[in-house]
Amino acid sequence: MIYTVVLLTGLMPAAVQAAVNVFACEPEWAALASELGGDRLEIYTATTVRQDPHHIQARPSLIARARKADLLVCTGAELESGWLPQLLRKAGNARIQPGQPGHFLAAEHLDLLEIPEKLDRSLGDIHASGNPHVHTDPRNILQVADPLHRRLTELDPEHADIYRQRFDAFTEAWQGAIDRWTQQLAPVKGVAVVVHHNYWSYLVDWTGLDKIATLEPLPGVSPSSGHLARIKQLLKQQQAVMIIDTGYMNDRPAKWLSDQAGIPLVTLPATADFQNNESLYQWFDTLADLILEPVR
Amino acid sequence: MNVEGLDISILAPAFAAGVIVLITHIPLGYEVLRRGIIFIDIAVAQIAGLGVIIAYTLGWDEHGIEAQIAAVISALTGAWVLSWLEKRYGAHQEALIGTSFILAATGGILLLANNPHGGDHLKELLVGQILWVEWGQLLHAAVISILVLTVWLNFRDRIGGAGFYTLFAIAITVSVQLVGVYLVFASLIIPALATIGCSNRSGLGMSVIIGASGYAAGLILSALLDLPSGAVIVWMIAISALVMHLSGACKALVNSRTKTD
Repeated sequence: MIYTVVLLTGLMPAAVQAAVNVFACEPEWAALASELGGDRLEIYTATTVRQDPHHIQARPSLIARARKADLLVCTGAELESGWLPQLLRKAGNARIQPGQPGHFLAAEHLDLLEIPEKLDRSLGDIHASGNPHVHTDPRNILQVADPLHRRLTELDPEHADIYRQRFDAFTEAWQGAIDRWTQQLAPVKGVAVVVHHNYWSYLVDWTGLDKIATLEPLPGVSPSSGHLARIKQLLKQQQAVMIIDTGYMNDRPAKWLSDQAGIPLVTLPATADFQNNESLYQWFDTLADLILEPVR
Repeated sequence: MNVEGLDISILAPAFAAGVIVLITHIPLGYEVLRRGIIFIDIAVAQIAGLGVIIAYTLGWDEHGIEAQIAAVISALTGAWVLSWLEKRYGAHQEALIGTSFILAATGGILLLANNPHGGDHLKELLVGQILWVEWGQLLHAAVISILVLTVWLNFRDRIGGAGFYTLFAIAITVSVQLVGVYLVFASLIIPALATIGCSNRSGLGMSVIIGASGYAAGLILSALLDLPSGAVIVWMIAISALVMHLSGACKALVNSRTKTD
């Protein structure tokens, strides 16, 4: 009984103020929205840090949450193309349909890497817009924060001051953090690494790591024996310092190469664990520590 | 517990999809068990998928009607080959079905070796998720299912093995896109298996109860527990089948019928 009362009073202010319902496709955007909107936002995240955002199993709550959302925040660049169109159709929520202010795609505000020069079916047309894993570069997070805070202001103009203040505070703190990480990660510049696949391209680009090979050049397709042989051969000539792998992926190819070549395997968590209250700051701190470990 | 997913407008189309799948799969399931070809549904679904992949690599549009035509044509071709194989090498039919399944699955991998995301995309086109179904899609599926059922119930003695395989290929191609492979298998095999000792009529009635209660309970539970719907439904169909079987409900039905007769 006491618990119920506490719970109800706890919920009251939010209900009275009618918080903005945010539906985030990935935890990183939930975490960013939370930095910018704080208590003003009621945030739901469709995927977790241990889940491949390309694929999703439909649950009733997913549709229910999309129905009540005022703002959808996703990566775009076809990362969610396997399920977001169906979800939007099923939700039938006019506020978050493409073209509406409630439909926010981070990739639309960034310059993407790895945009194919020619659009050829044989190369896989699905990522024609470029590599969608933009959040692995902290500078991109900052670049998305600006349009996202403006979008929040547009949807909830009464609280424009809150978004403005929080955005300014975030910009300052995050820029400081970027400077700190950049300095911290200076020793990894030019360090040779093998990546499991292109999930970390933006991180590689930011840190100046030297990617000498990609274990799985076509995501989702096991590397051919010829490709593995070429990588082994390459590693004989040029020693790599680590193999970088992604948390939610099958780590067997990376483990295999790590054993074969005697190079340490570093498994990086794919994103901030927002559901367990991990912030973007904590996530990048973890990334920096993990990458620095084999270099020290 | 999570009550927000418990929304009739979310769960009703999914339940209707389940009922449409059950319409054809319960009667066809008995025939599948009788012939001892349990994995035929998975093989036919995989062959239909291979058809779409082939069409796609030939430059067809993977959306809409072209993909449907490719899926149905290849499912029918696969079904006819399997029906011919059954006639010729009947004793080894299950092994042949298994082999054709892995050939179709790995054939798809080889065709899409350079196009992994295209592959993901096609898989999603072919293996539906029950919560994504829409009423418009259900209407087509319902019409086709009722046609398949009507032909099967009225002409099953005359159409022979080839006729069965044809109807089966059509029913599977439609249902896999609605609810996915796992639910197709569960709807086809589990009710028929649970009611194997029952008379025709009481067995059919029990199967409908098992199937419908499995879908209903599965959808409600998946909303409450916030778990993927398809997987929960499979388990609920299995549990309701087990409960029905252990309770001996079908024998009771048979007894009461013989008493009243």
